[in-house]
Amino acid sequence: MDGFRDFWRRYRRKTSAVIGLILLVFVALVALAGPWFIPGDPLDMVTQPFLWPGTDIEFPLGSDVLGRDILTGIVHGSRVSLLIGFSATIAALGIGVTVGALAGYFRGWIDDVLMRVTEIFQTVPTFLLAVVLVAIFKPSLSTIVLAISAVTWPAIARLVRAEFLSLREREFVQSCVVIGMGETRIIFRQILPNCLPPIIVMSSVMVASAILTESGLSFLGLGDPNLMSWGTMIGIGREAMRTAWYMSALPGVAILITVLALNLVGEGLNDALNPRLKNR
Amino acid sequence: MATESVRPAPARRSGRERLVRYLVRRLGQAALTLVAIVILNFVILHLAPGDAIDVLAGEAGGGTPEYVEQLRHAYGLDQPIYVQMVRYLVNAAQLNFGFSFRNNMSVVDLIMSRLPATLLLMTASILLSFTLGVLLGVFAARRVNSFADNAISVLALLCYATPLFWFGLMAIVLFTVKLNLLPGNGMYTIAANYDWFEATLDVGRHLVLPACSLALFHMAVYTRLMRSSMLEIYGLDYIRTARAKGLSQRRIAFRHVLPNAILPMVTMLGLQIGALLGGAVLVETVFGWPGLGRLAFDAILQRDHNLLIGILLFGSALVIVANLVTDLVYAWLDPRIEVA
Amino acid sequence: MTFTATRFAPRLLTGGKALLGALALVAGLAAAGPAAAQGQPVRGGTLSMILNPEPAVLVSGVNSSSPVAAVSPKMFEGLVTYDPKFKMLPQLAVSWNQSADGKTITFKLRPGVKWHDGKPFTSADVQFSFMEILKKYHSRGTATFQHLVAVETPDDLTAVFKLDEPSPYIMRALAGVEAPIMPKHIYEGSDPLKNPANLKPIGTGPFKFKEWERGNYIMLERNPDYWDKGKPYLDNLVFRIIPDGSARAVALESGAVQYGTQYVVPLNDVERLSKLPNLAVTTAGYEYNTSVNYLEFNLRRPYLADRRVRQAIAYTINTDFLVKNVWFGFATKATSPITDKQADFHTSNIPQYPYDLKKAEQLLDEAGMKKGPDGIRFKVTIDWSPSGEMFRQTAELLRQGLQRVGIQAEIRNSDNPTYLRRVWTDNDFDINIFSASNIADPVIGIQRFYWSKSIQKGVSYSNGSGYNNPEMDKILESAQIENNPAKRKKLYEDMQRLVMTDLPNMGLVYIQWFTIYDKKIKNLNTTGLGPYESFADVYMEK
Repeated sequence: MDGFRDFWRRYRRKTSAVIGLILLVFVALVALAGPWFIPGDPLDMVTQPFLWPGTDIEFPLGSDVLGRDILTGIVHGSRVSLLIGFSATIAALGIGVTVGALAGYFRGWIDDVLMRVTEIFQTVPTFLLAVVLVAIFKPSLSTIVLAISAVTWPAIARLVRAEFLSLREREFVQSCVVIGMGETRIIFRQILPNCLPPIIVMSSVMVASAILTESGLSFLGLGDPNLMSWGTMIGIGREAMRTAWYMSALPGVAILITVLALNLVGEGLNDALNPRLKNR
Repeated sequence: MATESVRPAPARRSGRERLVRYLVRRLGQAALTLVAIVILNFVILHLAPGDAIDVLAGEAGGGTPEYVEQLRHAYGLDQPIYVQMVRYLVNAAQLNFGFSFRNNMSVVDLIMSRLPATLLLMTASILLSFTLGVLLGVFAARRVNSFADNAISVLALLCYATPLFWFGLMAIVLFTVKLNLLPGNGMYTIAANYDWFEATLDVGRHLVLPACSLALFHMAVYTRLMRSSMLEIYGLDYIRTARAKGLSQRRIAFRHVLPNAILPMVTMLGLQIGALLGGAVLVETVFGWPGLGRLAFDAILQRDHNLLIGILLFGSALVIVANLVTDLVYAWLDPRIEVA
Repeated sequence: MTFTATRFAPRLLTGGKALLGALALVAGLAAAGPAAAQGQPVRGGTLSMILNPEPAVLVSGVNSSSPVAAVSPKMFEGLVTYDPKFKMLPQLAVSWNQSADGKTITFKLRPGVKWHDGKPFTSADVQFSFMEILKKYHSRGTATFQHLVAVETPDDLTAVFKLDEPSPYIMRALAGVEAPIMPKHIYEGSDPLKNPANLKPIGTGPFKFKEWERGNYIMLERNPDYWDKGKPYLDNLVFRIIPDGSARAVALESGAVQYGTQYVVPLNDVERLSKLPNLAVTTAGYEYNTSVNYLEFNLRRPYLADRRVRQAIAYTINTDFLVKNVWFGFATKATSPITDKQADFHTSNIPQYPYDLKKAEQLLDEAGMKKGPDGIRFKVTIDWSPSGEMFRQTAELLRQGLQRVGIQAEIRNSDNPTYLRRVWTDNDFDINIFSASNIADPVIGIQRFYWSKSIQKGVSYSNGSGYNNPEMDKILESAQIENNPAKRKKLYEDMQRLVMTDLPNMGLVYIQWFTIYDKKIKNLNTTGLGPYESFADVYMEK
């Protein structure tokens, strides 16, 4: 508990980090509780199409080309964005940490092979690869998550490997080896907890970039058709951009706020967890 | 990171020989990576339902089974996948990247015809993001924690969080639809009888919005990186010495800090290439820019496998070359580091 | 937030008004279209038109997709062309004569016609085009000309078609877009699909190929040696490839492009564009080229095999909403699978399925599809043709309608190859939403959806529902070889009644395509082929 209090003391020193946290909590609340206050299916056509924001009190943010309520879309879309952002990051962490830990711990040929594979995934332009994967395995929540994690894990793998390479030479690890501790145990109990801070920092940025990637995919028409995501909403509004730009503008603002919040929190975490590098 | 194989060397040995050996090794790895990319893509694409013939026949509004079979045979798509793959690799080794059925054109010709547009867009956005990023970063670092510094930080954060395609759309609404200042689509005015000067100006005007959209994100990255890099170097001993000697602030910033602070940015440039190609898909879609990104997206939707693999290979090769060049430039800029 | 009548009422009013306005406008322009062909044609000028997507080749004889069809007929002509009422008009043939048994058709060809490379056009070209290209390589030609066994050439200017069965529909498939006459001396002895002339065509038409900059434009130039002296009037035709809908709107608005067809701009933008002083909108010229938006059921699925379930689903679709909000008035409610533009065949005196959720629920209950404790009767998937945003929106409307009667629907997005493969090869779908052209004659455009012999895996836009009814087969097969127009019409009326009863698929709307053009452009749509005509008569006012 003291550790946490200490952490919090360092975190809140930075105003921007606190603002980021407030924004993020707000977005999370909207995602969790919003659908209770704004019920209904965001895909339902409930009013006249092309209703500008502010013209009908019942639909404060207006309606889209088919008369779907934009406020409902944004509220429900926050779930999709956060869900995809976090699941993709968790999946990417799973792959990346495993690969990085194995490569960094065992070194030698395992490291060579794994790093070659990592390199392949880092060489192919990432967004393009994500588009290929989603297009080919039919757009749905799970394929989008898989595609995003398939293109983002290499960064984690490299980070974890670098941490492992340096940590495994440290005395506390060497002494574990000497007392004959099992390798799995050393990896998961001794080394991994010590590289958590940079992983946590990186994760928050990855959630943000996963949300951006998802919006890009949905915008290209590669979103899950049974969910209303912010990217999809921008894509829908694009057709009517000349006459009703608000349809694209509003969900874009939602993405901006969420991604901004995540980045601010990431920065705050970085400063709080790695006090040495406070200007980075 | 891309600089990983660049390590400090204890002592200088025969520089040229080492450089050649280094290059040979890097290029050998690159070739292997490219082969692996071909195989990976062949497998992924083979898992996809539908092929180019489905599209050709579908666009034609259907056809008899004989017609469909005949097409499939004519394009060699009735062969097993490993035969197609080996054939592709053999041809690719001879720099023959096959034929795009959908476009009735060789893949190389097709890529080359779209390359200038994408290169122009990418170069413009790299220059824009790098220059602006460095300027803003230096500016912020020299006035650390001032109002200007904070304003720049906020700006960078916002740029960092903005979906680039959305920024593009909003820019079109504002600059094209509302203000009618800049064109929001295409690369130049077609069939306008311009002389070379007007034509250049015309392309320039078309370039502004897409280049800005694509540059936005990396400009933010460079600004933040430059600022922190400057601050780190300000803290170093030799800068304190320079200060103690009474050198002017301006001279210290531009003669001593900037050249060193710019080093990490070079690495970032190499990493930017791959991201830019991906971003080009979105930006080219938004602005109707006739480049490679759009071509790649269409190739996916049309199952134009030869073309798609060609573009992915080309993009990957570009990333590899960019990384190699940045490593070399890095080593050249920083005498403490030598290629190993 | 429920969908109530009161909430919806104002929408109907405003929407209705806008629609009426649009229709009045369309009707006025349609009437004005051909009449505007007065005045003296002037020579010169470049007409820029929009083309999307970029075609693969430029010859519709080897690729019958719609972008190719827009370019090819400017360079390649058919034996005949058609007026808006499908009357045959001379083109490369000056006269024709069909024998009483319908098995011999003699064409007298136009003398003095030259290919773009200067070689003379003869009956050998006609024979080669039909026997070696259209019968073998054209996606529909293989079926249309199945009974054409030989083309005899007694002299250079006579071509005699020999059939082993009467094929009345052949007489509707002879336009330059559907059956272009191609140069034998260029194509003979080569693989027609890979012939370089597919990219640099040699035809007989009013325009010659000039250049093609990929991803950008295709340029044709005036053929000075065209057989119709003095024509064409235009110096150049430029096809601009602009992939983005709103960009196309800007191009038309600014006058950079003067002509665009079909889905050229987002439908919600048409009304605004039509009010601009330089632009006009017309729906004329689409008589030959009609499309129907269909909904197709996969009869292999246990739930959907029950006719009552299919009928119930038909009752859940609010077609008025589709016409107003998805098609913005550029479609009319479909009453049969055959478009009302084909008056020779169409009937609406058959069972109809107006929007009626109560009836739908009742039919579903009768069929034994009771609601579960969660209020769900069963689940279906909806696939839609990725060729247009309208189909996705239709899928979304259908999904909503189905949910109201307790059928849970999942929409599946796919790209074109996945979609085509899923529906017509793997038959892995429940409900499919797409559009298809009726192409001049039911044998060519309609029969494919209902004939049991058209259940062909791997053939897109064939009988995907798996509908197999001997009664239907009998009607269709009789109509194929029926040479008496009245008897033929009767057969097709029976066919339409049977379709609307069995409902293997159903027409949702008849798509009303439109052309947006600059008012300076005159003499458009002098035939029923609209955008697919040769443009020899089109001119541009200074």
